[in-house]
Amino acid sequence: MIQWLMNIDRRIIFVFVFLGVALPLLANVFLPIKPTRDVISVYDQFEKVAEDEGIVLLSFSYGASTEPEMQPMARAILRHCFSRNIKVVAVCLWPEAPGLARKVLEEIGDEFGKTYGEDYAFLGFKPGNFAVVLNMGQDFRDAFPQDNWGTPLEELALTQDIRTLRDFDFVFDLAAGDSIEFWWIPYGQEKYGFPFAGGCTAVMAPDLFPFLQSKQMVGLLGGLAGAAEYETLVGRQDKATAGMSAQSMAHLIIVAFILFGNMAFFLSRRR
Amino acid sequence: MIFLSRTLPVIVALCFGVFGIGIYYVPHAAAQNLERELALWLRVVFAFSYLLGLYSLLNLHWQRIRQRVEGWGYSAMVYVGFGLMMLFVIHNDGKGPFAPQAEGTAAENGYQWLFEYVQVACSSTMFSILAFFIASAAYRTFRARTPEAALLLVAAIVVMLGRVPIGAYISEYVPAAAEWLLNVPNLAAKRGILLGVSLGAIATSLRIIFGIERSYLGGGDE
Amino acid sequence: MQNKPPSWLVGLVFLGVIASDCQGQDAQSGRGSLPLIDNTEAFDTPNDAGNSITLTWARTRSIPEGGVYKAYIAESREGPYYPASEIAGGANLQSEEPETFGYGDAAWDAHFIHITEYAGGEGVVSLQNDKTYYVRLELHSGNRSTRAPIVTASAQGNYFNWKKLNNIVLGGLLSFLILGFISLARHRDLYIRRIGGLEALDEALGRATAMGKPVLFIHGLRDMSQISTIAAVNILGRVASRTAEYDAALRVVAPDPVVMSVSQETVQASYFEAGRPDAFNTKHVFVAGTEQFSYAAATEGIMVRERPAAHIMMGYFYAESLLLAETGSTTGAIQIAGTDAFTQLPFFVTTCDYTLMGEELYAASAYLSREPKLLGSLKGQDAGKAIIIAAIVLGALLATVDIPFLTHVFTPH
Repeated sequence: MIQWLMNIDRRIIFVFVFLGVALPLLANVFLPIKPTRDVISVYDQFEKVAEDEGIVLLSFSYGASTEPEMQPMARAILRHCFSRNIKVVAVCLWPEAPGLARKVLEEIGDEFGKTYGEDYAFLGFKPGNFAVVLNMGQDFRDAFPQDNWGTPLEELALTQDIRTLRDFDFVFDLAAGDSIEFWWIPYGQEKYGFPFAGGCTAVMAPDLFPFLQSKQMVGLLGGLAGAAEYETLVGRQDKATAGMSAQSMAHLIIVAFILFGNMAFFLSRRR
Repeated sequence: MIFLSRTLPVIVALCFGVFGIGIYYVPHAAAQNLERELALWLRVVFAFSYLLGLYSLLNLHWQRIRQRVEGWGYSAMVYVGFGLMMLFVIHNDGKGPFAPQAEGTAAENGYQWLFEYVQVACSSTMFSILAFFIASAAYRTFRARTPEAALLLVAAIVVMLGRVPIGAYISEYVPAAAEWLLNVPNLAAKRGILLGVSLGAIATSLRIIFGIERSYLGGGDE
Repeated sequence: MQNKPPSWLVGLVFLGVIASDCQGQDAQSGRGSLPLIDNTEAFDTPNDAGNSITLTWARTRSIPEGGVYKAYIAESREGPYYPASEIAGGANLQSEEPETFGYGDAAWDAHFIHITEYAGGEGVVSLQNDKTYYVRLELHSGNRSTRAPIVTASAQGNYFNWKKLNNIVLGGLLSFLILGFISLARHRDLYIRRIGGLEALDEALGRATAMGKPVLFIHGLRDMSQISTIAAVNILGRVASRTAEYDAALRVVAPDPVVMSVSQETVQASYFEAGRPDAFNTKHVFVAGTEQFSYAAATEGIMVRERPAAHIMMGYFYAESLLLAETGSTTGAIQIAGTDAFTQLPFFVTTCDYTLMGEELYAASAYLSREPKLLGSLKGQDAGKAIIIAAIVLGALLATVDIPFLTHVFTPH
């Protein structure tokens, strides 16, 4: 028995994890979420933009594989922006992002009855990684002369007065890779000094803590937990909050297996 | 030929490397305009690298099909997938490839449908395998064989519970402890590694700029 | 009898006083009890591309509440003067911009404004370079105002950003150390301590040979210009030499054609050096996939089908690290990983038999290849780290006793 507990077939673990994730999602369980300091900072910054009737640049730097983690974050951010009448300009720095960005912009824009070109604009994808960020800081029209459908920026009411990154009141990057640490901060925030924050996958979040401490980032949404906290602040619980119950259960299952394994390990050592 | 394949790239690397460093310290408008031009060129190079990547991929799989290597059927699937996506891109909902991207949801737009229900579905499924693998890896390796391993085990449990709502249910100190672990010891280790890696990146960049390192050219050093 | 001054003289003096008082723009006029504005200066804003003038003046602590400084600018002394900037009475102290004005106590006793544009007659006008502007500063509070003497300046583009002096000095020092050690390494043998993971590497290769199974070398996802890929290729050279000597099979998977091409040439060169050119097969070094998860899926397939005895994962990995390592562990292979990807280290540490963390990857490649450029770079980096460690310790001690000198030296601007 002890040996069995020490060497449980991984397929049994997989079954438990599957059930632990699926059942809470099917049962639609919502656990209360307490927002943390870094998420509240992002919320407060958006609120400040709303009070100043400002404009925000939303950068989509994630792909299809991280859609389940990042798309709820994008929805929560956009719901906040549109509910407070914040103007949003969206750009993509990853080639897989445009399909996801279009979908969420249209979905949330329709939900709040927002008008394209006046309340939000989607400028599509440009290759170049950090070079695009650098270009946006030097001359925004150089980087994005048209929107995703070929309309020149000067013809869109929202983007007529945008010349550089400094013309945005806040820049937020949704990142699943290197974009915050290696593109936006060295080539954007450090050079042009605009308020900047980001959302990232949970595994990347610790990588970005130094930038929070150095105040190069105003705040950070880390993974599905960050998205769920933001949904709580916005007052609209959705997939991220639902996902937290599944994630909680999965973590409990992992901890339980770890404890079983250690219990068996110590018992076997005693013998 | 040697000049074109070995010497000229090194000269180009030196010139642009020195320019790039100099621009950082020179605020004059002339330097800033040069930086702007370089950034534009860089974007053009990036765009062409996508074409190069596409050619490499198709060529690689064509060779496999041609030589009938084991699993060449999967290489044929690469062409099928590519052809199908290109078909919808060119069709563009009837507007043709030279019109702006057609609007519409996945139900209305074939390209968007393929992206959402094939690409996104497959990619996120592969990513989600990590959840199962981390469970089995954690179970197998988090054994308190030594005091350090025990410390790691406790820290891992605290952080795992502290980062989800269930931790707050267990105790209000669990999320606080998790945050402390992430912001203090974890961040200290991260900074140390970051410093080392950054110094390494500076050293490699210097070697590339001054032509000491040439492995990026392919073919080894001379 | 005393002589009185003649009345015409008195009248003349009186008129003279009134005339000097009415000299207008160049005179400081003070009405009410507002403090005077002292030490007003205007100069080209330093460390910029031009189109900006900086105005400074002494701080006065007796400004009434609600007092506002207003700067006006004109292209000629006679005007017209246009509004350029406005700040609250206590705002914009020079201490708020230490990169321009320094950290001294004097920065707390002076204000500044950077003027880049003004509200001209036909709209907002940006300042032009090499053009003289006349600046007038006024202090307003309610109905009262006071005015400083007019000062002049012209904007210019600057050729060096003095705010980054600390950066260039530190960068130059580091570069000197690295290049110096590289040069030294060409003439002397530099010592590097043995890297623990290298013993595991030899063990893994020996095991593969004994079992008659291949060794699988897995590159990370980054391209050939990245330091981690360069380090991985160097380690591959050593692995290839050993597999050639031991007559073990070697499979190398790469994520892109350039890395594959460099790997092929490296392996071929190693086989030649080992005297086994016949054993080299280009088909054993190939691109498994060009996208993250297709690369991972293809590599996992190789692990499960061919059951290599050793998996060597070197380079920069992303989320596929755990997929690869966990799948590899199910096959019973010995696994050695080396990466500078901080976020993936925990996954490798838990699933692999040995992990080279961060700089150990670079050090291992330097140790194995013994190339002067790699050894010298490593020594130079170590020297740089020693300087940073000394600065951290000394800086923390000095900051504790309120001497922030080192903190300021390392503050980026």
